[in-house]
Amino acid sequence: MKILIVDDFSTMRRIIKNLLRDLGFTNTVEADDGTTALPILQGGTIDFLVTDWNMPGMTGIELLRAVRADEKLKSIPVLMVTAEAKRDQIIAAAQAGVNGYVVKPFTAVALKEKIEKIFERIDAAK
Amino acid sequence: MSNVLGSGLVEFENLVKDGAVELLNHIEVGDFSGAIKIIQELSEARHNSFYNEVGCLTRSLHDAIRDFQIDSMDLVVGEGQDSATKITDASDRLNYVIETTSAAANKTMDMVDSSVPVASELQNQARVLRKDWSRLIQRDLTPQEFRDLYKRIDVFLSYADESATTLHSNLNTILLEQGYQDLTGQVIARVNDLIRDVEDKLVHLVAVAGRVDSISGIEHKEKKSDHDDTRGHGPAINKQNNPEVLNSQDEVDDLLSSLGF
Repeated sequence: MKILIVDDFSTMRRIIKNLLRDLGFTNTVEADDGTTALPILQGGTIDFLVTDWNMPGMTGIELLRAVRADEKLKSIPVLMVTAEAKRDQIIAAAQAGVNGYVVKPFTAVALKEKIEKIFERIDAAK
Repeated sequence: MSNVLGSGLVEFENLVKDGAVELLNHIEVGDFSGAIKIIQELSEARHNSFYNEVGCLTRSLHDAIRDFQIDSMDLVVGEGQDSATKITDASDRLNYVIETTSAAANKTMDMVDSSVPVASELQNQARVLRKDWSRLIQRDLTPQEFRDLYKRIDVFLSYADESATTLHSNLNTILLEQGYQDLTGQVIARVNDLIRDVEDKLVHLVAVAGRVDSISGIEHKEKKSDHDDTRGHGPAINKQNNPEVLNSQDEVDDLLSSLGF
């Protein structure tokens, strides 16, 4: 299980990386916005995407839409971890096909719960 | 201050009132060249009062920016800075906040990273020893195992001592790193003062511009600037007062589940 963490703040990437490591996900790569994330995704080795929304260059919602529009990438589960908490934005993310939405500041428990829920759904769909 | 700045316009308004009466008098007696002279005078006065007003405001804005000083920060950013553009300076100071908070967060995470394995190892060793210890209590150990345990306890105790010292020092480092809050808080408070000051002047500028508009009869169409959701808004401040913003993860979860998630 290889996870791509996309956030423009290195401290936030590090926090998420450490929390994921505690959950047993040790194989992670990082990108600082959608533009740098897409080529990594297109490399074909990423199984799970964790992304922020508000980033310079390509934003998280644009990245999500790009992933869902790409035949090879569209089934990758996407968890959004962001400070964006407007009702319309969450609805937009849901419509774009997000698998989970965690609002910052978040707790380790919330992150764990959302990730587990996503995997449960994937396993159930198999 | 606003009286001083606005006095030019009040004067101008009075001039217009007086001029109108005079203008009417000239027209009534058929003195059109006199009337046109008054119109020209009014037009000149209009220009002058407008430019005076803008001049005053520009000067006071410039003063406000020039007066912007963060004395306590001079120690941190260095000395001999040119005082010409304090906005650039304020921007530098905000960058300093980003760098300082980032450094503190990383240092704190470094300390956590180096503490977690120590705590885990302590836990592992304690668990193993406890298992053998309970066998000892139940008199379930061979003499050789007992001698072995005896030595291991000694090793463990010295390891526990060392580990506690390491953890203690890491926790202290984390504590000291929180000093960034004091430094950055001071910087942000000063920058905030500048913004308020500039805003005050701008509000005044808008008020004066409104008066100029009302005198000159210019109307502006209001532009509606609606921020694009796609670009993001950043963390919501004053969430409670904004019905469009959800307050917690629970509310987000509720919304998503209402959408069939």
